[in-house]
Amino acid sequence: MRVIDCVRRSAIGVGPERTITDAAEIMDQAGVGALAVIDRGRIIGLVTDRDLVRRGVARHVPPDTRVDTVMTSDIVTVEAETDLHDVFAIFRTHAIRRLPVVRGGEFVGMVTVDDLVIDLAADLSDLARPIIGEVLFAHRDRLG
Amino acid sequence: MQAKVGDRIVVRGHHVGDPNRDCEVLEVHGTDGGPPYLVRWGDSGHTTLFFPGPDAAIQGREPTTK
Repeated sequence: MRVIDCVRRSAIGVGPERTITDAAEIMDQAGVGALAVIDRGRIIGLVTDRDLVRRGVARHVPPDTRVDTVMTSDIVTVEAETDLHDVFAIFRTHAIRRLPVVRGGEFVGMVTVDDLVIDLAADLSDLARPIIGEVLFAHRDRLG
Repeated sequence: MQAKVGDRIVVRGHHVGDPNRDCEVLEVHGTDGGPPYLVRWGDSGHTTLFFPGPDAAIQGREPTTK
């Protein structure tokens, strides 16, 4: 399975010149915890709710500060066609919860650990169903 | 997804009780109507770039696969 097939929801991007107040409002309205920061079609960073708290509010940064001053710019990305198993390894190695998905270098979406856990839980449930059935309702041969 | 300026995109809510959101396409930045789109959100008036996922559809059209 490709990682792009695991993207469950739309993503939102903002330009680096947007303020941190804008970013917070956009996250709040959209119910997301991260925005892609896009400059000339390329993703240059991610700004998360955690970035806004730790690098913004906690440091008394003015609310009209540009979002690129608090974003995380050293980001890991993954190509859209990458196999899902390789993505597990990326999450494991980098200890991140969100992974921007790119196609030809251009941002196309975001995959999160939460998305993958939900997918895996559903798969596990499907796999477990016949086993649970067998354990709970053991098959008995009818005699005679 | 293929959109044109003026199209309205609806994004379904993700949690119980979440309303759907909608936005208007102001600019198409991809080729042949593809994403990303510069959109204006109906509830907040904010303009952002929008990268549609499976939760989004152009109003009046069925969602398309990736």
